[in-house]
Amino acid sequence: MLSLRERQQSFAAALLGTAAAPGGLQVYRNNVFTSLTEALAAVYPVVKRLVGEAFFNQLARRFIRRTPSRSANLHDFGAELSAFIATLAETRTHPYLADVAALEWAYDGVFHAADAQPLDVRRLGERGPLEALRFRLHPAVRLVASRYPVLTIWEANQQDQVATVDIAAGGEWLLVQRRSLDRRIERLTPGEFALLGALAQGATLADACATAGAAQPDIDLAAAMGRFVTQSIFAEEIC
Amino acid sequence: MVRDAAARIPARAGIGLRAPHYRDVLESRPSVGWLEVHSENYFGEGGAPLYYLERIRAHYPLSLHGVGLSLGSTDPLDRGHLAKLKALVERFEPGLVSDHLSWSSVGGRHFNDLLPLPYTEESLAHVARRVLIVQEHLGRRLLVENPSTYAQFAESTIPEAEFLAELARRTGCGILLDVNNIYVSACNHRLDARRYIDSIPPRHVAEIHLAGFTRNDADGGEILIDTHSRPVAAEVWALFAHAVERFGPRPTLIEWDADLPPLAMLAAEAGHAQALLEARHALAA
Repeated sequence: MLSLRERQQSFAAALLGTAAAPGGLQVYRNNVFTSLTEALAAVYPVVKRLVGEAFFNQLARRFIRRTPSRSANLHDFGAELSAFIATLAETRTHPYLADVAALEWAYDGVFHAADAQPLDVRRLGERGPLEALRFRLHPAVRLVASRYPVLTIWEANQQDQVATVDIAAGGEWLLVQRRSLDRRIERLTPGEFALLGALAQGATLADACATAGAAQPDIDLAAAMGRFVTQSIFAEEIC
Repeated sequence: MVRDAAARIPARAGIGLRAPHYRDVLESRPSVGWLEVHSENYFGEGGAPLYYLERIRAHYPLSLHGVGLSLGSTDPLDRGHLAKLKALVERFEPGLVSDHLSWSSVGGRHFNDLLPLPYTEESLAHVARRVLIVQEHLGRRLLVENPSTYAQFAESTIPEAEFLAELARRTGCGILLDVNNIYVSACNHRLDARRYIDSIPPRHVAEIHLAGFTRNDADGGEILIDTHSRPVAAEVWALFAHAVERFGPRPTLIEWDADLPPLAMLAAEAGHAQALLEARHALAA
């Protein structure tokens, strides 16, 4: 008789197999692939719309086999879809698709991200010289950049009638944020994006400003930092 | 915050709370006895789910129903998952906490589904060990639910109802008896649903679930699938009445997760369950 462990291993192999299965096993197989596919569709509605339902379902099945769910919580599933799409030959005709997926993963991520006290700028002076300060991005903030106009694509696909998007229009540098319960995506300049990117990685304000200046020589650093603080991009708790 | 003093789940009908109904529940306050949520939907660190649950909890007793403990899995018990569940229990003070008699992962690969167990002495000892660990970690009683099953194992030696009853006897856990799942499994495996109910000792039954199923063709025959996407079937209402007769009134949940109807329809289904609970009560009085 099989041990419980062996029984579960053989059941799992049969679920993942492609051979015709008896009715009962087929129900489990459908349930597993359908619920994981639905979980992906819930996070990636724009990717699904761009490639169509039939291709999305096929893509999901391959992704589920290649990149198994590693968590008992279905909400954790699907982080690697963007990287997976980037490896596929069939999606070369949609070169922006992987970046749209990255944007959707970020948009989903801020939905569940922690609440946190925004940085109180009035207390900044107590923390030593400004240029040596390090900032912490609010947990419900993500940065996404692409060589393609992915937010324009994303916005077009929130409408029933999709407008034509010129994918040669150039890249976009994006800030994804949840404030209170509302999510938004905002276009940044390359310098603003570099500034936040450097701060997110732990750079001092002086070093982050240098990085931002290199990315965009005409950036107004004081205005950018002022706006980020007003928009609660930073959390309390500065090093 | 001030909460309903009755953190305990009353022996009345309740409904599953799903995200599309958050605002409607807060505004219309349907007169149902209690609410149940899927624990994992609140494992995120912040945002709308926790925001709304906090507010809704102030008005209703709450039950946490999990799908991820994977009590039957031979993978190590997921301590991270258990820690998140414990944090949720501490924050929301639920009246009941439950999960399923099933497994979901092997070798670290998760299927995120309620997969069936062979009902053997080995499985019973294994699940009992894990239930005890979970109960000790949470510091409270866990309820374990019978799943709908679509396959049986040749090595099974213990009927499911006896397996559950013995699990409850060994661990002190409660049984969350899903009457729809009993009906679905009984039809799929040609078993007697009433006999199943009659072999569960009433003292272990702490909650009842009701839901809808679909009929599908399979191998030239018919297979019932527990989809939580439809009203409770007439046959399941009849079986529920039989269960209430045997067990007395118990907290009873209307589960509806897919193709979600308006809140009013869920409340109406709960009203029907409530009437059956009260009919039994009136009879006894």
